[in-house]
Amino acid sequence: MKATSQEVQDSVKKLFEDRRISHFVGYEAGSDSLRVTPCFLKSGQAVSRLVWNPLCANNLAKYLLDLRQADGTVGILVKGCDSRSIVELLKENQIERDKVFIVGVPCNGIVDKEKLLTVLGISPGDVVAVEDDGDAFLVTTKEDKRRVGKEQVLRGECLVCRYPTPVIYDVLLGEAIPRLPWVRDDYSLVRELEEVSVQERARYWNKELSQCIRCYACRNICPVCNCPECIFDKKAPRWLSKANDISENLVYHLIRAFHVAGKCVDCGECERACPMGIPLRRLNKKVEKDILELFGYTAGIDVKQQPPLTKYQVGDLDEFL
Amino acid sequence: MPNIKEVQTEFKPKILAFCCNWCAYAGADLAGVSRFQMPTNVRVIRVMCSGRVPPELVIRALANGLDGVMILGCHPGDCHYSEGNYLTRRRAHILKRLLSYIGIEPERFQLRWVSAAEGAKFSAVVNEATEKITALGPNKWGDKK
Repeated sequence: MKATSQEVQDSVKKLFEDRRISHFVGYEAGSDSLRVTPCFLKSGQAVSRLVWNPLCANNLAKYLLDLRQADGTVGILVKGCDSRSIVELLKENQIERDKVFIVGVPCNGIVDKEKLLTVLGISPGDVVAVEDDGDAFLVTTKEDKRRVGKEQVLRGECLVCRYPTPVIYDVLLGEAIPRLPWVRDDYSLVRELEEVSVQERARYWNKELSQCIRCYACRNICPVCNCPECIFDKKAPRWLSKANDISENLVYHLIRAFHVAGKCVDCGECERACPMGIPLRRLNKKVEKDILELFGYTAGIDVKQQPPLTKYQVGDLDEFL
Repeated sequence: MPNIKEVQTEFKPKILAFCCNWCAYAGADLAGVSRFQMPTNVRVIRVMCSGRVPPELVIRALANGLDGVMILGCHPGDCHYSEGNYLTRRRAHILKRLLSYIGIEPERFQLRWVSAAEGAKFSAVVNEATEKITALGPNKWGDKK
């Protein structure tokens, strides 16, 4: 059975009543029917604002960092990917486990708005609601109701999601989902690029990354990008020039990919936040794949696991001699 | 005044080598004392440990126009600080693959183990790297094509 908005509202109301939480971070309806925004509650009075539907894309885990100073316990609504971000935050001692109350919801995939509008050939104003319906989404438009196959309109990260059910939670609403039926090859995006020549790859990335305007939205939204002072903001040494230059864009994205290596849980927020539509997941997925193949490590599963680049084994692959 | 363009027809790569103080730097010293012949393309920066070299430095060096970057450290198990080179090794695996993935020839970045007694190996490493990178041609980091 799937969790519904009603269930989320009821359980959050109860949590406030029992004084288990003092704050709650969830989702509420946004400015149009295809938009869902984060919702911050300080009491149980406004729980009717909370929603849970296939448009709830935001990874709310990052807000836990902003609420570190809050009095009492912060409740948060998490999907599978968001819960893995929380595991990474706990690993780095960014948040305290007992100051967070995690309400988990198994996730059946999130809608990619652009894909949905293209497939249906409608504008955002036409959509009234989007509901989950097994292997499809039920889209209510002003004229009719339509079923759209999930594989056509899911977000990229949902197409390869291995953890639809939160890995860490205090309560779980709805039934756990062991696996998603459409997930086959996790790394097809990466393999496609690996198979072409290095010059071809250079052309591809130069083209994609030349669009970057270095607004740093990808960094700002990333839950594991939480250094108090980011290396790119430092004045001395200045690691990144302010020049509008593709070679500096490359430096930025390479260093960022490296800084989230072993921590990125592929929640897809960087790509969603990017105003230029740069396929950033394709970069981070490569690092994720290498770490899995070389060191057998997947991020965001177990708080006790040590990050892969902070430890070593004497018998690690040695191709350098 | 000779025409600068005419003088610089032959490509001479600039290669940066981060040498660990305890092994590779002493190895480089030994190579010099032993009078091994080496091309002059490699510039050495002494660091206390190969573990001191974060990927940012390598990326920055390549972006600033170096044609190749090497990290030379103690053999695994011989690190002066016990484990610095093991950690570097893990990072280097990821970095090498990432560079190749983003379109930089992986040969431009190398991690090699050179002990203080391996003057001959140091010169061999320098020779090999210079040859390889000369063959690759100039570093085209971020060239607009």
